[in-house]
Amino acid sequence: MSSREIYLDYAATAPLDSQVAAAMHECMTREFGNPSSLHAAGRRARALVDAARASVAARVGAASDRIVFTSGATESNNLALQGVLRRSRNRRVHLVTSRIEHKSVLDVARALESSGVEVTYVAATAGGSVDPERVVEAIGADTQLVSIMHVNNETGVIQDVRAIGDACRARGVLFHVDAAQSVGKLPLELAAAPIDLCSLTAHKVCGPKGIGALYVAPRVTLAPQMHGGEQERGLRAGTLATHQVVGMGKAYDLADPASEAPRFAALRDRLWDELRAIEGARSNGDRERSAAHVLNVTFPGVDGESLRFALQDVCVSAGSACAADSPEASHVLTGMGLSDVLAGSSLRFSVGRFTTEAEVVTAAARVAAAVTRLRTLARSAPPWCSA
Amino acid sequence: MEYSLAVRRHFAAPQKARELPAGSPGLVAGEAEDRTLHVWVRFQLQIVDETIAAAGFQAFGCPHTLAAASAVADWAEGRPVAEVRKLDVKAVCAELEVPVEKLGLLLRIEDAVAACCRTGT
Repeated sequence: MSSREIYLDYAATAPLDSQVAAAMHECMTREFGNPSSLHAAGRRARALVDAARASVAARVGAASDRIVFTSGATESNNLALQGVLRRSRNRRVHLVTSRIEHKSVLDVARALESSGVEVTYVAATAGGSVDPERVVEAIGADTQLVSIMHVNNETGVIQDVRAIGDACRARGVLFHVDAAQSVGKLPLELAAAPIDLCSLTAHKVCGPKGIGALYVAPRVTLAPQMHGGEQERGLRAGTLATHQVVGMGKAYDLADPASEAPRFAALRDRLWDELRAIEGARSNGDRERSAAHVLNVTFPGVDGESLRFALQDVCVSAGSACAADSPEASHVLTGMGLSDVLAGSSLRFSVGRFTTEAEVVTAAARVAAAVTRLRTLARSAPPWCSA
Repeated sequence: MEYSLAVRRHFAAPQKARELPAGSPGLVAGEAEDRTLHVWVRFQLQIVDETIAAAGFQAFGCPHTLAAASAVADWAEGRPVAEVRKLDVKAVCAELEVPVEKLGLLLRIEDAVAACCRTGT
């Protein structure tokens, strides 16, 4: 990173914590054994995996044996949705999800639709929430699974997974939660929550990329999506990447929302205090119901791609990094009622462990300058460019 | 999205992103837009003796749109109207290494310049 560069895209990914890197380095250079091997080297590797599994489980309030390591939240979402809905063939199956889920849920849902699964996509409110009542209305006799994310990756809005989960339990429907954005920002107590499946990832909390996990509650059965070994209780074949697992464990040891979330919230609020001075700027999503690290702001009259290009030394996103190459407007923001133009005029800022107050103040000043310049370039533009 | 050096240069310092003085002799203006593509372009040309004496533009759109509008304004100034009327924005796209999927956006620049030239005839 150059000295001018300011990283405000923690919702996309976070820098590796040096303590995580040290733990991974120790593993890579000293413990190369296959954790499935029965000899001494394998047993040492297995012990590292077990310890990491315990760390992940402790952070999310689950028993260790409920944690299945995967390559990340995308694989976890695939395993959860396909693992449940492809179990039973030759019968009608129904999935309920929302229109503002991450692509790694929506694209799986569409793939399932193409193979005969019925899917209901519940709309979001203007504030970015998924109303539990709308989810309940969508549940039918054939519904096997409801999948709703905990914290929206574009707006930070926290969904009422307790109410949705209770409704699912009462109807005998499994409930999956994508918690990729909530670990380290909100306390999770999965064993006590009405949640059957929960997707987790390491790289959003200063851990390594390429490693995640799926929490699988007792009595939930899944059809494995990868074959070729009995690792992870037969749910995820393949030799475990011990160093990645160790990195995730260390990252989850460090990602304590009690100590970090108040600081994230203060940084986010300071950023908004600065950005709100820009004429017309408005935040998206109910900030009273949002996780501490995300702020989504619309700057009417400015094209989002041009704004991001003008802000190259301020690292922010239009929305999901996983859709950054798509020219389409954010499905989350349009799902909340924004026009395509305004959705395209929006930026997601997200803070994290290494963000400083000076950085958010400097970033806001650069955003203000860029917005002013781009608006000057389009000063006679028709009203639709701002509406 | 990758941007060529030429795009970066025009985007950073679009020399002709300006409003020409109202009442200038021979001043014409033309606009074009595509709401579905989120692009709007306005050109002003000052035509003196069938030649573009000055050019200015405004634009709402992506970096390629802004850069291409800037490049066209630079190119137009000093050229005969007859030549500018035949502007082929595909040549500008090639010069700026604009991805082919952005061509639809940049055609609005051609439309805005054509509207200017129509006004000026």
